Amino acid sequence: MGKGVWPFVMAGLGLALLAWGSTWGLAFAPRETYMGEVQRIMYVHVPTAWNAMLVLTFAFACALVSLLRGGWTWDARLEAAIEAGVVLSGLVCIQGSIWARPTWGVWWDWDPRLTTTAVLLFAFGGILALRQFVEDPVKRAVWSAVAVVIAYVDVPLVYFSVRWWNSLHQLQSTPETVSRAFHWPLRINAFGVLFLLIGLVELRARLAFLRREAESAPPPPGRMAEALGGVR
Amino acid sequence: MNGAPAGVIQGGWEYVVAAYVASAVILLGYAFSVFWRYRRARSRRDTAL
Repeated sequence: MGKGVWPFVMAGLGLALLAWGSTWGLAFAPRETYMGEVQRIMYVHVPTAWNAMLVLTFAFACALVSLLRGGWTWDARLEAAIEAGVVLSGLVCIQGSIWARPTWGVWWDWDPRLTTTAVLLFAFGGILALRQFVEDPVKRAVWSAVAVVIAYVDVPLVYFSVRWWNSLHQLQSTPETVSRAFHWPLRINAFGVLFLLIGLVELRARLAFLRREAESAPPPPGRMAEALGGVR
Repeated sequence: MNGAPAGVIQGGWEYVVAAYVASAVILLGYAFSVFWRYRRARSRRDTAL
């Protein structure tokens, strides 16, 4: 197997695990006593939230390494991790809204957990937009790395918000707070999202690196002739 | 009254289906988008070489 194939294998494995865990959660896991069937949303919501925080932590690490050591590889990884983090944070908000409607009676509430998650989505979405607008690759790398270090402050706030403030949201889902009957579909889906994420972040980083190479490469001969013709 | 104990949610499968469909659409859509952009960037690089 070639070295370039492993992200595709990881993503495929992740999708297979997600299919397995979701089938288990939907068809074979028991109903929860109070939330009934609606609690089955947990098997996709919680793994998405865990992995969103994980990939944004990876983005924070990439930003630090990029600032301290430099190198386009870490900048490419940073871009990939930010984009994946924005996608997962957006998905967490959508899943959470769908779960909130039957349990809380509202689609959205400005409680600490939901507000800090929305801030996370808009902060990292803004950094992604910033990268699109800055043309100078060095400024783009430095500015976005600094912005990620600042925006990352919100990640522990999201995690601890349910403990630190009076939140409508339930406490963090951990082996201590979730019944044993629900553990396996939750774990399988958590690894499913993780493997999918690893594959996608690696491919997205390679894509960012290819774009960076294209920025610094001389134009192809055809384009060069066009450009020269334009000058004449 | 439907005879269900107070504080217990009845039904709700439509919300479960909505959450799983939204998750599948967003995760598969993002995966497809990354694969497609990566393939396009590689073919551009190969033609430029």
